[in-house]
Amino acid sequence: MSKLSKRIILLFFVIISLGFVGLFVIDKATNSRINNIGVIGKVPNFSLTNFDGEEVTSSILNNKITIVNFMFTQCEDACLIMSENLSLLQERFAQSNDIQFLSITTDPDFDSLEILNDYQRKYSKKNNWFFARGNIIDIINLSEKGFFLSAKLLPAGHSTRLILVDQNNQIRKYYEGTVDVNIFEMQSDIVTLINQM
Amino acid sequence: MNKLFFQSAVVSTVLSYLLIFVGGLVRVSGSGLGCPDWPKCFGRWIPPTNISQIPEYIDPSSFNIVLAWIEYGNRLLGVIVGLSIVVMTMIAIIYIRKNKKILFNSLLALFLVGANGGLGAIVVSSVLNPFIVSLHMILALFLVSVLSYLCIEGYKIENNDSFSNVFLSKKISFSLITLWIVIVIEILLGTGIRTNLELIAVDNPLFSKGELLSSLNNYKYLHTVLGFSLLFLSLYLCFLFRRDNLGLSKQLVYFILVMIIIQIFLGELMIFFELPQLTRLFHTWGSSWLVGIIIILYNSLQYEQA
Repeated sequence: MSKLSKRIILLFFVIISLGFVGLFVIDKATNSRINNIGVIGKVPNFSLTNFDGEEVTSSILNNKITIVNFMFTQCEDACLIMSENLSLLQERFAQSNDIQFLSITTDPDFDSLEILNDYQRKYSKKNNWFFARGNIIDIINLSEKGFFLSAKLLPAGHSTRLILVDQNNQIRKYYEGTVDVNIFEMQSDIVTLINQM
Repeated sequence: MNKLFFQSAVVSTVLSYLLIFVGGLVRVSGSGLGCPDWPKCFGRWIPPTNISQIPEYIDPSSFNIVLAWIEYGNRLLGVIVGLSIVVMTMIAIIYIRKNKKILFNSLLALFLVGANGGLGAIVVSSVLNPFIVSLHMILALFLVSVLSYLCIEGYKIENNDSFSNVFLSKKISFSLITLWIVIVIEILLGTGIRTNLELIAVDNPLFSKGELLSSLNNYKYLHTVLGFSLLFLSLYLCFLFRRDNLGLSKQLVYFILVMIIIQIFLGELMIFFELPQLTRLFHTWGSSWLVGIIIILYNSLQYEQA
């Protein structure tokens, strides 16, 4: 065999092997994304009141992907960033009817329905975002026992994490609501969940 | 010592091409944020293998062991490439500093590999801004161009006797330069398409690949048109080389033609099958090959004339 054809065969072999390596890695990465949003727990039953006076119960979580967070309207830094990030996600997924948002106030003494209504008007551009209030004890219980997030020294002591809940009321993953990288990641996890629905 | 330099240049070039492949793999598999920090990965020099190893200040929910290791593989290979270029530059400085071309380009390669490593940090901190990711790749293409040039110059100082019987005529020189420039423009256009696709995808996460493609500007067709004009240019080159023996230069000319045909094929494949990831990877990688091969061909011919 000539030197040239040996070289061509070698090159061909190297490229085919790299192709297999590439396929393997891409496949691994795709599967790791699905495995990385395993079920963490089930959201317990709850009953709250939406800004429009309607009742919000755990049954609203059925058959939708829900992003849940805890916040209060007088909170200055973290809540604003979280609300802006959620607003951005709401806009980006506006075409989908499979996704919704639930913000629960940790300051029900101040956050009346009227104040919540004013607040939601500023951030929500679609009617798939609940801003709910309820009994403070229920909210602490929901945060600590339902979502495993600490709720000490409320209202300011609430968690700044976003909770991804799937269509079967199951907690799938938490994200730091103020960090861009985590929002970016949440977005791709939502796409993965929607594609699996 | 000349041989040593040539060998180190070849090793650096081959490793850099491998690095471009791995970098492309990071992009198509979406692993760029596998490590949220830089240069360490989750605060460790060896990425965590277990969720308990994640430091407190980083949110553990962003931990995906597979993505972390893909991203870290790119960084590790980058370090190896950097070291091989350091060795090559040291050989150049110690033994062949009289050859200003080689000395200057070795130092340039060293600067480029360092700069691109630093740019890698910005890629991560910018949360994969598509412009910066593309710049990261373009700088890598620049690096392999310089390294390819060093390979052929290294080969020349080692083999004083000619290795090809083609003289660099005006026609050949002109068409090779044109080919190279058009390929660079073509790569920039292709990078622009990818950048725009990613920008649109971030704002429209639910778009299918087909919807993404159709929401691109009309300038995407320019990439296709230019691709076919490259085919004709390379056919013309084959025609110019028709009387030569099958030496290194003629082999390279054929190789360019074959590469361009493969690139067009991969490009069309992407449009019809909606951007399969592996095709994207090889399409990008193939373009980096073309850039280097034309530089090697051009400089191997220039030698003949002297």
